[in-house]
Amino acid sequence: MEILWRRGESNVHDVVAELDRPLAYTTVMTTLDRLYKKELLDRRKHERAFQYVPRLSRAEWEHKRAGDFVAGFLSQPQSSRDLLVSCLVEAVGRHDETLLDDLEKKIRNKRRELQKGAP
Amino acid sequence: MTVPYLLRLICLCLAAFFLIHLAAGLGVARLAPSAVRLALRMRASRASTFLLLLRLLPPAFALVVVAGFCAPSYLWLEPPATSEEVGWGCLAAAAFGAVVSAAALIGAVRALWSLRQWRGNAREVSIGGGYGPIFIVGGSAPFLALAGVVRPRLVATRCVMDTLTSEELLAAIRHERAHQASRDNLKRLLLLLAPDLLPAWPGLLAIEHAWARFAEWAADDRAAAGDPHYSVSLAAALVRFARMGNAPVSSPLVTSLLADTCDLSQRVDRLLECRPRPDAGGWFAVAWPFCTSLAVIGVAYLIRQPAALYWVHETLERLVH
Repeated sequence: MEILWRRGESNVHDVVAELDRPLAYTTVMTTLDRLYKKELLDRRKHERAFQYVPRLSRAEWEHKRAGDFVAGFLSQPQSSRDLLVSCLVEAVGRHDETLLDDLEKKIRNKRRELQKGAP
Repeated sequence: MTVPYLLRLICLCLAAFFLIHLAAGLGVARLAPSAVRLALRMRASRASTFLLLLRLLPPAFALVVVAGFCAPSYLWLEPPATSEEVGWGCLAAAAFGAVVSAAALIGAVRALWSLRQWRGNAREVSIGGGYGPIFIVGGSAPFLALAGVVRPRLVATRCVMDTLTSEELLAAIRHERAHQASRDNLKRLLLLLAPDLLPAWPGLLAIEHAWARFAEWAADDRAAAGDPHYSVSLAAALVRFARMGNAPVSSPLVTSLLADTCDLSQRVDRLLECRPRPDAGGWFAVAWPFCTSLAVIGVAYLIRQPAALYWVHETLERLVH
């Protein structure tokens, strides 16, 4: 998926050439075919070879993945749901605290800068 | 369905308002992303005016067409004391028009009614320096806001007064007074009175959110007045306020110091930059009074043309049937 998002429409050869580690042509072909069957890729025939293209952008894919993850938790018993919500609230709280710390640091730096510049 | 003369007029006006408002609103909704990008290149106060006018354009246009053309052409050309068949399409459009208009009106009345809570049980404290009084209300949640439309009050909870330093408090008050000078709560009331495009489908919400963001930025700029010390104090006030926790949900006619924490980082960065921004909106300051004058002259001219009213009447006849 990473290669297809980066390159756009590509055939199996293109994907094999872009891989970090060597993989057999047939392995890549089977993988792309499975991704197509899972409706993550679209394909069209071009000169006896399939050209593959992602059906979702990276942002849409990540949104879907997060949605599926949350939906999976919410479909479980009450305790799992509560756990998910408390983890999310904690994570957002931690993120907010870090953001506020960063902003305060910027304000302190600016104050110092202004004091230095003052006659 | 056979409908008498006066009821038909009301039905036609509502249907025409709904259809014109929907068409104009869809056009504006389509232009919204480009308009917001354009607004980003303007000074914040000018950008907020631009977006407010764009949001109010569909209802204002629909109102002018209905009041200036539809109603006069009907009263002038439709034989009185007659009953006529009205098609279901027209009735449905009129019903939608009635629902969106009533929903807007009810929302505005409820928002005005909810302002009552800020009137009583408040202790007036004078802060001097020409900033007017602050009304201290009970409650442990952090709250500093401008409440009201005609004579807005600066309202705060005790914990805000105790936690912010004197410079931060002064900067926060300057920010709220900047909202008062721009009559932002009156603009909020106008936005509440502007109906949605369809019942329960606020198609122009993106413009309203963008307006709210630019109105905050404009108040920040006005409060800072180009002085870096004021800017830094206001930025510090915002961060300290955010640390105190989220402000309680209040009336749409209350402008809080930090209504939206998602915008906090951007507001602080803008304040700390402390430099004049390039303004690509000079054309707008000239264009909008010119276009408004041109539209007023055009409407005044067309209303006096019998041919225009005949054409409107024929269109209304098609709409009725």
